[in-house]
Amino acid sequence: MIARLRKYLPGGRWAVIAPPYFWMLLFFAVPFLIALKISFSSIVIAMPPYTPLTEWVGDTLQLKLNLKNYLFLLRDPLYVNAYLSSLKIALISTLLCLLVGYPIAYAIARLPAASRNTALMLVVLPSWTSFLIRIYAWIGILKNNGLLNNFLIWLGVIDEPLKILHTPVAVYIGIVYAYLPFMILPLYTNLVKHDHRLIEAAYDLGCRPWQAFLRITLPLSRAGIIAGSMLVMIPAVGEFVIPELMGGADTLMIGRQLWVEFFNNRDWPVASAVAIVMLVLLIVPMMIFHHYQSKELEGRLA
Amino acid sequence: MNATKPSWFSHSALALGFAFLYLPMLILIIYSFNESRLVTVWSGFSLKWYGELFRDQQMIDAAKVSLQIAFMTACASVVLGTMAAMVMTRFRQFPGKAMFSALMTAPLVMPEVITGLSILLLFVAMGQTFGLFQERGVTTIWIAHVTFCVAFVTVVISSRMSELDRSLEEAAMDLGANRVKVFFLITLPIIAPALASGWLLAFTLSLDDLVISSFVSGPSSTTLPMKVFSSVRMGVSPKINALATLMIAIVSIAAFLGWWLMAREEKQRQRDMQLALQQGG
Amino acid sequence: MAATASSVAAANGVAKSDAPIREDYVRIDDLTKEYDGFRAVDDVSLSIRKGEIFALLGASGCGKSTLLRCLAGFEKPTYGKIELDGVSIVEQAAYDRPINMMFQSYALFPHMTVEQNIGFGLKMAGLARDRVAARVEEMLTLVQMNRFAKRKPHQLSGGQQQRVALARSLALSPKLLLLDEPMGALDKKLRSQMQLELVGIIERLGVTCVMVTHDQEEAMTMATRIAIMDAGKIRQVGTPDEIYEQPASRFVAQFIGSVNLLEGTIEDDEKDHVTIRSDVLEQPIHVGHGVTGFEGQAVAYALRPEKIKIEKDEPAQPHNKVRGLIEDIAYFGTHSVYHVRLQTGKKLLVHFMNAKRWASERFTWNDTVWLSWGDNAGVVLTS
Repeated sequence: MIARLRKYLPGGRWAVIAPPYFWMLLFFAVPFLIALKISFSSIVIAMPPYTPLTEWVGDTLQLKLNLKNYLFLLRDPLYVNAYLSSLKIALISTLLCLLVGYPIAYAIARLPAASRNTALMLVVLPSWTSFLIRIYAWIGILKNNGLLNNFLIWLGVIDEPLKILHTPVAVYIGIVYAYLPFMILPLYTNLVKHDHRLIEAAYDLGCRPWQAFLRITLPLSRAGIIAGSMLVMIPAVGEFVIPELMGGADTLMIGRQLWVEFFNNRDWPVASAVAIVMLVLLIVPMMIFHHYQSKELEGRLA
Repeated sequence: MNATKPSWFSHSALALGFAFLYLPMLILIIYSFNESRLVTVWSGFSLKWYGELFRDQQMIDAAKVSLQIAFMTACASVVLGTMAAMVMTRFRQFPGKAMFSALMTAPLVMPEVITGLSILLLFVAMGQTFGLFQERGVTTIWIAHVTFCVAFVTVVISSRMSELDRSLEEAAMDLGANRVKVFFLITLPIIAPALASGWLLAFTLSLDDLVISSFVSGPSSTTLPMKVFSSVRMGVSPKINALATLMIAIVSIAAFLGWWLMAREEKQRQRDMQLALQQGG
Repeated sequence: MAATASSVAAANGVAKSDAPIREDYVRIDDLTKEYDGFRAVDDVSLSIRKGEIFALLGASGCGKSTLLRCLAGFEKPTYGKIELDGVSIVEQAAYDRPINMMFQSYALFPHMTVEQNIGFGLKMAGLARDRVAARVEEMLTLVQMNRFAKRKPHQLSGGQQQRVALARSLALSPKLLLLDEPMGALDKKLRSQMQLELVGIIERLGVTCVMVTHDQEEAMTMATRIAIMDAGKIRQVGTPDEIYEQPASRFVAQFIGSVNLLEGTIEDDEKDHVTIRSDVLEQPIHVGHGVTGFEGQAVAYALRPEKIKIEKDEPAQPHNKVRGLIEDIAYFGTHSVYHVRLQTGKKLLVHFMNAKRWASERFTWNDTVWLSWGDNAGVVLTS
């Protein structure tokens, strides 16, 4: 009965499409438009602390686009440096993640089928505990009077504690540690599908192991490398917690600047402009990621 | 990739990798039992920091808020994520599909500061225009968490759905089940494990979130990560070690249980299939 | 032509259906299915009789599966009509059609027992619990799976899974049963056994059946009639021996079994015989019946390898003989295939039953042999 009725209802499938679509449009897409709007207003001491863009003067509606915030970002070397340094830190961390993650993903993919899932679970397990706590663990290790320094002094390698915490090195360690699973998972998913006979064929045709790796495995795992790198790099650009807790006062990262503008200076328009510029910088990597991800998601529908 | 004899390279990559991942955790756990307030000096075994942790009412309240939000987030994300996964893997072209899939993948990588700031601005704007979300708190955090968790849940569920043999659903339809019945009687029971892992993923993501919560929380809704963050900023305290140890213990036990159940089921399955083959016919 | 072949076909048809034959129980008219401009099924018209097992045979990608899915209701035809027992079904959803399908991979629901799988359609139809149970029991008995009722699909062997799938698709007493590559998931030994068992059950119930297969042996063994499909079109419809012995075109002749195609032109067209001049033979081919053609028309003479006689000495018959050299031998146990090179350079395939055990009694490489065939051994193909 219901089945027969449903046929006359227009688009039963829109009942499935609409809820997630509407939710994501309202709570994910629309907010960027609002942020864009606010980035063109100026700060006032009020709640909310920004001026409206449109104003009735007599009977004309005036639209005031205030470019001051963007000019401010452009002129203040602090922001330009923060963007550049964020990109640099994110890129280097991504590269480090790849160097550390690739061998692990490769080794797991070559384990016997029965132990692969267990190994994979062990990779993911730490990220199920708190992100903050993992960062906190490294603070205890890297501090001036922390475990690493104590250990090195006990070994006699150094006399004076090394300053690692509150330096960029600590930030790199933090990002690699926190984001490593995001690199390993897509790499593993890709590598585990490889047909080992290809490698055997390469050996058979005279490739040495490292040549076979460079000429066969590495090119074939390109999609995994890109997906993993994007999953690490894009969020790392906007990272706040790691530079805040592990970086020094001079470790400039744009996520931290945004936080300061918003929470400390309460300058919502500038914070919005910071976010919009970051979004523009990340749009290309995001599109690359989306390209690979949607292929993966829609998989066999094509 | 076929299993081959693991080389020394594979072995050492795994050993070093797991050491890197687990050594910091191990140290954290060990020092949670330290008598001394100094996190780096061992001065004898003690459980006193656990006692202090449980006497910290603020911490316990924050944990309650976090668990409540995480539970609601996980439920809502699984419902929306399952719908989204259906759309991604089962629906052919419809107007706006490209936009849909972009909306479902972007939150996976979107820096949290951007998501947090812009959704707060939305809540403020809605408060101004419609009088909604005047009071920010558990509800606004829940909405923000669902928004970024749906994307992760969608990935988990749609990867399972695209593996699912389509002819199972067609067979059910062929036998007279309409699309709604096919979904509830065939698809849903088969992908149930993926729903469970999606739920757990959303739960942990929500429980773990600091940045987005900080933007959209109100005065009465401090979550556990916000509380931990402010106390870590003050300096290292063994109380946090105790908290970390508890979290690690819970996660490990849950993971081990899950692993054990799955391994048992898989073993049984292998045995059944072996038996069926031997009986033949 | 070929009065013998069609009488065999008629005998075949009679043997397999006692019920009055309704020529168009299933009628497919001008059915076309396009995907992005590609025609998977191209203007197909077919009539299927009540109670017959009808096979769609073709290579992968020929459109046979798409046609089957149109019948099941999983694909909506771009245009065309499908009628089942006089009722148009194109507009009906898959779940409303009185048609059930046995899937290639069986598609048994992994989370349900054998019983629940077989009872699924009955439950969907809203039958009372005790009636579902009774019908499930009946179906289990039909496929002799009663003692496996409580098992899950993964606890069954391939053959057992197939029985369950069959029982499930028959439980609703469908007007039409569809089989998608029914033996595709079984190993070779089990296949021949299950083929006969499946046909036995289907014929006992008298259910009309359309099957899709790429395996000609399977189609020949199981089907009453076969439709050969290629590039979305039906090339020929007929009983297995019509298809084999009277192929309508070069394509069908080459698709089914192996064949020697001798290209030539009609030289002499008489009422009772025809001669065909072919460049590859010294003598014209003598065909013992008239053909609907004209003198000078280009035709092909299709000669099956087993219709050719191979011997050491020149046969006495005046026509249809040629000398050649054995170039290659393929030994198949029951028979050998000789590749015989004629003086014109043309190579003919010849089957030879290995009735004797010793290789010394058979022909060998580089033997000069005589090949000959009867006046009605081959078929004249005009397309």
